[in-house]
Amino acid sequence: MFPGIDGFRWTVDHIVFLSLFFAVALTILATVVSAAWRTVRDFRTHRAIEFCWQSGFSELPQSDRRCRHELAGRVISRTCDNAFDCRHCSQYSQFAVLPASGTAHDLGLNYPEDRCYHRGHTWVKAEQDGTVTVGLDPLADHLLGSPDAVRMPDLGSEIELNQTAWRMSKNGNEIRVRAPLEGTVTGVGGPKQGWYLKMHPRLDPHDPATLRHLLRGAELHGWLTHELERLQLQLRPSQAAPSLADGGVLLPDLMDALPDADWDTVLADTFLEL
Amino acid sequence: MASATVADSRVADGKWIARGAERTSLPRFLLWLSPWAVVLAAGVYAAGLCLYYGLNQTNMDNRFAFGLWIFLDLGMIALGAGAFFTGFLVYILKRAELRPILNTAVVVGFICYSGAVAILMIDVGQPLRAWFTFWHPNTHSMLTEVTFCISCYLLVLCLEYIPLLLRNRQLRKLPSFLVFEHQLHKLVPVLAGVGALLSFFHQGSLGGLYGVLRGRPFAFRQGIFIWPSTFFLFILSAIASGPSFLMLVTAAVEKLTGKRLVPVELFRRLGFISGVLLGIYVAAKSIDTLIWINFTSPAVGFAPWQYYMYKPFGTPILFAEIVLFGLLPAFLLTFRPTAERRGWLLSAAALACGGVLLNRFILTVQTLALPTLSFDEFLQYTPSWQEVASFTGVIAYGVIIYSLSYRYLPMFAPAKGEITDVSRH
Repeated sequence: MFPGIDGFRWTVDHIVFLSLFFAVALTILATVVSAAWRTVRDFRTHRAIEFCWQSGFSELPQSDRRCRHELAGRVISRTCDNAFDCRHCSQYSQFAVLPASGTAHDLGLNYPEDRCYHRGHTWVKAEQDGTVTVGLDPLADHLLGSPDAVRMPDLGSEIELNQTAWRMSKNGNEIRVRAPLEGTVTGVGGPKQGWYLKMHPRLDPHDPATLRHLLRGAELHGWLTHELERLQLQLRPSQAAPSLADGGVLLPDLMDALPDADWDTVLADTFLEL
Repeated sequence: MASATVADSRVADGKWIARGAERTSLPRFLLWLSPWAVVLAAGVYAAGLCLYYGLNQTNMDNRFAFGLWIFLDLGMIALGAGAFFTGFLVYILKRAELRPILNTAVVVGFICYSGAVAILMIDVGQPLRAWFTFWHPNTHSMLTEVTFCISCYLLVLCLEYIPLLLRNRQLRKLPSFLVFEHQLHKLVPVLAGVGALLSFFHQGSLGGLYGVLRGRPFAFRQGIFIWPSTFFLFILSAIASGPSFLMLVTAAVEKLTGKRLVPVELFRRLGFISGVLLGIYVAAKSIDTLIWINFTSPAVGFAPWQYYMYKPFGTPILFAEIVLFGLLPAFLLTFRPTAERRGWLLSAAALACGGVLLNRFILTVQTLALPTLSFDEFLQYTPSWQEVASFTGVIAYGVIIYSLSYRYLPMFAPAKGEITDVSRH
């Protein structure tokens, strides 16, 4: 140690002081290396996307983390603590058997009942051949109209639940659509096809547990009501007091119809950008 | 065309601000930064002169080897103690109620320590040979301990600042950054523990540095084992003023932004911690002063009145240090009726911070100004414009870094289910 220093002699002072210093320096270095190693490990084991999603989910406002059973009127109030993945919820079965009490009224949007819906405004349809088709739900379609550009994933790529499945841009805004299911991409479409992805899901799509985390029925209606209210408040004129319309239907291609609205916020809330 | 460019830059700026956070418009923000940027530029120019031409650009000399810069160093490091102390309270002692102030503590600590290291770099000179101190350490010098600990602690503060930086709205879109931030954040308690150890030693060593000056009886103190009493007094005064400084910074930001950023109760809690520690410090300082006046100083041939016969360093300055900036704020911060009133609380916090700065000023300037030999004279020192410009440049650097952090990072992110970053209206 300390080569090139003429006359240097080791003393107890040197050993104690330098041991302490290098122990501290090594602790700091080990902390950084450990964090970097754990990061690499998380990417290798596909846990990274889950971390990202859960990290952002915990920062969502409480009103956006409402449990599906509250949306369906099965419970008065409940906040999701499973990052919207009901497959891991220990209380799902306990609440799912309760009768839904939400009042259904026409929201002016057609949500076919043969599909399940993700809170990032995508739908999933299980096909007979064991694959699933994924598309944008009607509310997202009404907002975007025709996107300026769409960037789809490569065929054969693996996608995790809540990972960015595909990207779109419209009027300078970048939109990242979250995957409603984990699996392998087997086909890509686009707005003209009416669907965006075909996937071979990692789990059997005909097993009810596989799509359990997606919304349907009464809970879908409750969620949409909440989403439409949010949209009305966000798209109101900037000087107007908060108010809600008591009727009417959503216009198509809202981004072109209301170019001055705060689309950055609206799109981030709609597509769960965290 | 020009207005379209301005509008585009506003939109682009907005995309870096956390969703839901209300921040001032980009032009107003740039207007706020402009004067600070000018001051910083002047500071960089002055520092460049000092590094290029050497210390002849300053008014320091062989006798007055410590001046404005070392006062700034000691002051910033003492006020930045809130970072390690808050981390220690939250992560080691599990005082979760202080969590909302943690990010501010990290940013303030980072600013104070990086500013102090920058000014030390100018003062010591020859930055390209900075590594010499690690390869040729003088293990008998308090300054070596200070150098080692400050370098390591600045590294720790950088590592604590990185997770906050990676939570920026755009940076967090990169999954690798977000996962690294998540993993690093899980290891922050280790860093908090290391930081507390390092801070404890370098705050103490800075004080010990004065206490071992046998040739300067005004500063020389006896103590325990190898550490003079100033070693412990510096630690105590730093951890007493650190929480007060955090309170002042947060209150200033709340005033400027018109928002309530942390719960009111947190201010009282910080004030109480600061007040109790300040009380202990005042008691220790008083005992130390009595021992110094009655034993240490006479033993080296100096009567205490000899230190206070030169203006402006009369006995009122001793009274101010112990009573006005010590005992009084300690009382105001812990006495419930005054601690519950924001005005009194913040005034007391300002006094506590003023007290630690006064203490560092006295130990740096008065120590060197007083004559110690029969042919010595009382010296006066006025910093050169280069010293003043470098000093103000570091303060401007701090304001700019804090402003950018407040605007673009979730400094006061609410805990789960809590909303704190909200307008009063």
